[in-house]
Amino acid sequence: MKRSIARIGAPVAVAALALTAMGGAGLASASTSHASQPTYTIAYEGPLSGGNAQLGLNMKFAVQLAVSQANAGTTFGKLAFKLKFLAADDGGSATQSPSTAQSLIGNKSVIAVVGPAFSGATKAAEPLFHAANLATVSPSATNPALATQGWSNFFRVVADDNAQGPGDATYAVKKLGAKKIYTVDDASSYAVGLVQAFDQKAQQLGATVTHQEAPGTTQCQAGTGNVQQYGALATQIQSSHDPVTFYAGYYCDFALLAKALRADGYSGQLLSDDGSLDPHYVSEAGTSVASGTVISCACTNLTKAKADTTFSSKFKKLAGFAVGTYSAEAYDASNTIIATLKKLGTASIKRSAVVKGLHSIVYTGLTKTVHFQKNGNIAGSTVYEYKVENGNIVELGPVNQLVG
Amino acid sequence: MSTVRAPTPLLRRLWLSTDARRLAACVAGGLVLAVMTGPEGSGTAPTSGFTGSLGNSRVIGFVVFGVVLWLLMTARQRYGTEIRAVSDRLSAAPRRLLPDKRVRGVFYLVLLGIAIGYPTVLNGFWQEVLVDQIGVYVLLALGLNVVVGYAGLLDLGYIAFYAIGAYSAAYWTGALPVHPLFHLNAFYAIPLAVLAAMLAGVILGAPTLRLRGDYLAIVTLGFGEIIEIVANNLQGVTGGAQGVIGIPHFSIHFLGVVYHWGLGSLPYYYLLLGFIVVVLIAFHFLENSRVGRAWVAIREDEVAAESSGINVLKYKVMAFAIGASTSGLAGMVEASKIGFVEPGDFTVQLSILILVLVIFGGMGSLPGAVIGAAVLQFLPQYLRVHPLFGFQQQDLYLYLGAILVVMMIFRPVGVFPSRRRKRELGLAEHGVGSADAMESTTGPIS
Amino acid sequence: MCFTQNFWNLVVSGLYDGFLYALIALGYTLVYGVLQLINFAHSEVFMSGGFASYFILHALVGTNQPTGLASVGYVALGVLGGGAGGAAIAFLLERVAYRPLRRRNAPRLAFLISAIGASYFLYNLAGKEFGRNALEIPTLFTNGPVFSVFGATVQTIYVVTAIAALIMLVIVDRVVAMTRLGKGIRAVAQDAETASLMGVPIDRVISQTFIIGGLLGGAAGFLFGLNAGVIFTMGFTPALKAFTAAVLGGIGNIRGAVLGGLLLGIVENLGVACTQASWRDVVAFGILVLVLLIRPTGLLGEQLGRAA
Repeated sequence: MKRSIARIGAPVAVAALALTAMGGAGLASASTSHASQPTYTIAYEGPLSGGNAQLGLNMKFAVQLAVSQANAGTTFGKLAFKLKFLAADDGGSATQSPSTAQSLIGNKSVIAVVGPAFSGATKAAEPLFHAANLATVSPSATNPALATQGWSNFFRVVADDNAQGPGDATYAVKKLGAKKIYTVDDASSYAVGLVQAFDQKAQQLGATVTHQEAPGTTQCQAGTGNVQQYGALATQIQSSHDPVTFYAGYYCDFALLAKALRADGYSGQLLSDDGSLDPHYVSEAGTSVASGTVISCACTNLTKAKADTTFSSKFKKLAGFAVGTYSAEAYDASNTIIATLKKLGTASIKRSAVVKGLHSIVYTGLTKTVHFQKNGNIAGSTVYEYKVENGNIVELGPVNQLVG
Repeated sequence: MSTVRAPTPLLRRLWLSTDARRLAACVAGGLVLAVMTGPEGSGTAPTSGFTGSLGNSRVIGFVVFGVVLWLLMTARQRYGTEIRAVSDRLSAAPRRLLPDKRVRGVFYLVLLGIAIGYPTVLNGFWQEVLVDQIGVYVLLALGLNVVVGYAGLLDLGYIAFYAIGAYSAAYWTGALPVHPLFHLNAFYAIPLAVLAAMLAGVILGAPTLRLRGDYLAIVTLGFGEIIEIVANNLQGVTGGAQGVIGIPHFSIHFLGVVYHWGLGSLPYYYLLLGFIVVVLIAFHFLENSRVGRAWVAIREDEVAAESSGINVLKYKVMAFAIGASTSGLAGMVEASKIGFVEPGDFTVQLSILILVLVIFGGMGSLPGAVIGAAVLQFLPQYLRVHPLFGFQQQDLYLYLGAILVVMMIFRPVGVFPSRRRKRELGLAEHGVGSADAMESTTGPIS
Repeated sequence: MCFTQNFWNLVVSGLYDGFLYALIALGYTLVYGVLQLINFAHSEVFMSGGFASYFILHALVGTNQPTGLASVGYVALGVLGGGAGGAAIAFLLERVAYRPLRRRNAPRLAFLISAIGASYFLYNLAGKEFGRNALEIPTLFTNGPVFSVFGATVQTIYVVTAIAALIMLVIVDRVVAMTRLGKGIRAVAQDAETASLMGVPIDRVISQTFIIGGLLGGAAGFLFGLNAGVIFTMGFTPALKAFTAAVLGGIGNIRGAVLGGLLLGIVENLGVACTQASWRDVVAFGILVLVLLIRPTGLLGEQLGRAA
C-alpha cells in the first residue's frame, strides 16, 4: 500500500515542475512602442495545422499582405499608427479555439481579429471575444446562427448560407427551368446550411428536390468520407434523370463527383457554390468534365478588376502559392479593419472603439463594398454566377440580373 | 531471392557486426529526425523537403546526434548493470525520501496546494489550456488507462464515449433539437451523462469483448467512426454538422449555496481538479482491490484466470464501462465549458492521441497517465508559443507516431511505468504470460 | 426493395470497389497468416504505392495523354511502380516497427501500438514532404462508358481495375499454392516453430510476405489514385474497409479475402441505395460487427496453411 501511494505522488511532483515551466512560458506580451506612433496588432485566427491548414494559409497570407501594405503606405496612404501582424492557429477546431482566443485577448496590443475562420471555432471562441469586446471580422464563417447570438463584436465579410443557397435555387429554377433538382452536400457545417436554404427555396419555387448527403472525403480538406461513394451516388443521380445537380461543398470533392457523373454518362447541368469556385476544380475534374459547370459566389470575379491582379501577384510573392478560397475575403476583412482604425484617428484607440467603428464603416474592397448590418452580417450581398468555359472560370453576372 | 550477399568480405564482416549495424541504425534515425524537423516539401517539388533538410550543414548535427546515441547505447550495453543500479537508486529516491506515511501525506497536500494556488498567477491563455487541453485530457487518459493499462484491452474508439457525454450534456440541458421530458441544470446532468457513457460502454463491450483483442481494436475503431457519422447525419437529433450551440454553464443551487460557473477558465479548472483527485483515489483503491487483481490475472494469463473461476468477460466489460464513464465525464465538462459541441470534435485522431498519452506515461500506472497526459498536452501548446527545433504545429501527429514506435521498441513500459506492469512485460518476453488481454475469450480458434 | 431499381449498376460499381478492397485485403490476410498480427500500417503501404506511381507517371507522362498501346503500357508501369513503392515501405515497416518487437517476444498489444505509430508517422511524413493537397495522376486513358451488362454501364476504369486486379490475384494465388516461397509462407502460417526447426528461414519468409502484400497494396494505391488522385490521408478508409473484407472472408485465407472484398463492395453499394451515401461506413462497420459476432472465422475459415 505504501509503495503505491508513493507512485501517486511522483506524477504530481512532475506536474508541478511542468507548471513552473508554464509560468515562464507566458505569451509574448505587447511590444512597447518607442516612437510617438502607437502600434496595433491585427491578428488572424484560423487553422494553420491539421487537415484544413491550406484553407487557413490562404487567409493568413492575405492578412499579412494587407498589414504590410498598409505599413508601407500603399493602400491607405500615410497612417498615424504602425501595424503588426500576428497569426494564431486554432486547428479549425472548437476545442482549440477558446485557448487561441484567450491568447489573443491576453495580448493587449491586439486591436482586432480577422477570423475565426470556421463556424464551429467561432461558436466556441466568440463568447470570450465578446466578453473582451474585441472585434472579430470573419472572412469565411458562413453559418447563419452566428449572427443571432447577440455578439455585438462579430462581423463577417461573406454572405451567410441563407443568402447564397436561395440565389442558387432561383438560378436553377428560373433561369435553367429545372423542375427536378438533385442536391448533394458534403455533410460539412457549411454545406449543410447552404443546401437546406437551397432546397427550401427551390421547393418554394415549385421544383422537386431529391437530397443526398455524401460526406467530404479524405481526398479533400479534412473529410472522413470514402471516395468510392461517388460511384454509387452517380448511378443514383443518373437514374433519376434530374436535369440539374447542385453540389454544396468544396472543389476537390465536387471534382470527384463531377468525374463520376460524367463517366456514368450523366448529361445534366452541374451547379455548385463558392467552396468550388477554385481553379483547382477545373484542373482536378479535367477540362472536358468541368466545362459548363455553373458556380455561384457572393463575391465578384477576382480576375476582373485591375487591383485584383496586383493583389494576386503580391500574394503569390509573399505566400509562395497562388491565391485560393477566401484569400480575397481575408484581405478585405483586414483592410476594413485598417480603414476603421484610420477613421478613428491618431489618439490611442480602444478595442471597444473599433467594434463601434466597424458598425458604421463603409469600405470598398476587392470582393464587394463592405458595410455591416447590425447583427454583423454583410449588407446587401449579391450572389454572382460563374461558368467554366474552355478551362477558365468566367463571370456570368448577378443572379437577379440573370433571371431578369 | 537469396540472402543479401555483401560484395567484399570487409563489408560482410561489417554487416554481421552488431555494433556497425547499430551505428548505421542510429545514424539513420538521426537523418529521419533531420527530415522530420526540416522544411516542408510540396507536390510539385517532392524532393525539396528532403534536400532542404539533408542537403545543408544542419544535417551534421543530426549525424552527430546519431553517433552520440550509438555511443550511449553501446555504453549502456557495456555498463548496463551499473547504469541500471544508478537509475534504480534514483527512481527509488523519492520513495526513500518519503519513508513515512504521514510525511507523504503532507507531501501530497503540498502538491495539491500548488495545483490549487499556482494557476491563479497564470495568464488567461494558460488557464484556458489547463482546462481544455490538459485537465480534460488527464481525465481522459486516466479512464483509458483502466481499459488499456489495467485490463490490457485496446480501445481505439474511446473518444466516442466523450462524445456521448458531451451530447448528453446538450440533451439534458435542452440545447439539442430533441428535448428531454424535463430540463436539467447542467451540473445535475453530470450523473446522467456518466451513466449514458457507461451504458454505451456495456452495450458495445458485452458482445465485442468476447472477440480476440485485435478484432476488438477494429470494432472499437469502427464504433468511434460510427458515432461521429451518426452525430453528423442525424440532423434532427444532434444538430448535425453544424453542432449544438448554447449548452449552459454549470451552476449550483443547493441548500442555500448558489454558484455559477461562467466564462472564466479557473472555476472549471478547479472542478476538473476535483474530479481528477476523486478519480485518482478511486482508481488507486480499485487497482488494489479484488477487481484490480482479477484484471492482473486476466492480463497475465487469461486461460489460467478463466479456469480459476474468474468471470473474464465480466471484468473486461467492467473495465470498459469504467473507462467509458470517465470519458463521458470529461466530455460533459468540456461541453459545458465551451458551450458548443460539433461532430468534428470527435475524430479517430483524438482516440489515438489519448492512447499515446497513456502509453507515453506508462500503461497501467496512475502517475504515468497523469504525467503522460500533462506533459504531452503541455508541450505542443508551449511549442505553439515558442517554436523550438523547427517544430510546426501541423507535424504534431508525425512526432506522436514516431514516439509510439520508438517507445514500443525501446521502452514499452512507458516513462513512468507501474512496477507490476514492468515485471509482467519482462516475464512475457521470457515466454511467461501474455501481458495483455489480446486472446479471444470464447472464440472458436486459438 | 430500394436497390432493385439500379441493381446491376450498383453491382458493377460495387465490383469495382470490391477489386480494390480485395487487393488491399490480401496484404492483411498474408501478414495475418504468418504473424497472427493485423498490420495496422497497411493503409500507409497503400498510400505509398499511390505516391510512387504518381511521381513516376508525372515524370514520364506529364500533360500529354497517351493513346492506344502506350496507355496500356503506362497503366502497367503504374501498377508496377505503385507495387514497388508499396513493397519498399512494407519491407521497411517490418524491419523497423515489427522485427525488433518480434525479437523481444513482445505482447501483441505492443505490435498493434507500434503499427499505429508507424501509420501516423508515415502518412504525416507524406503530407509534410509531398504537400497536403490531392495530386492528380496524369490522365492515361479517357474514362467513359465502354459497354453495358444487364443495362448497367461499365466504365473504362472499371475494366482496367478488374483486369489488373484479376491478373495479380491469380498470380498471388498460384505463387502461394505452387512455389517454394509459397510453401515457406504456408509452413510458417501453419506452425512457425516447427517450420523453423525444419530449416525454413522464418525471418526471410516474413519479409517476403510483407513484400508480396506491399506489392498488391501499392498497386491498389495506384488503381485507386487513377480515379481519385493521391493524398496523404488516402489510406485510412479504404484500408479499414479492406480489413473488414479480410475478416468477412476469413482472415488468413487468400481466396476468402478476395471473396470478402467483392462482397463488401457490392453490399456497400446496395446499402447506400437504401440510405444516404453518408451512411456507407455505418453499413460497412455494421457488417463487420455482425460477421465477427456470428461467424468470427469469416465465410471461408481462417487458415492460410489449409485453405490456400
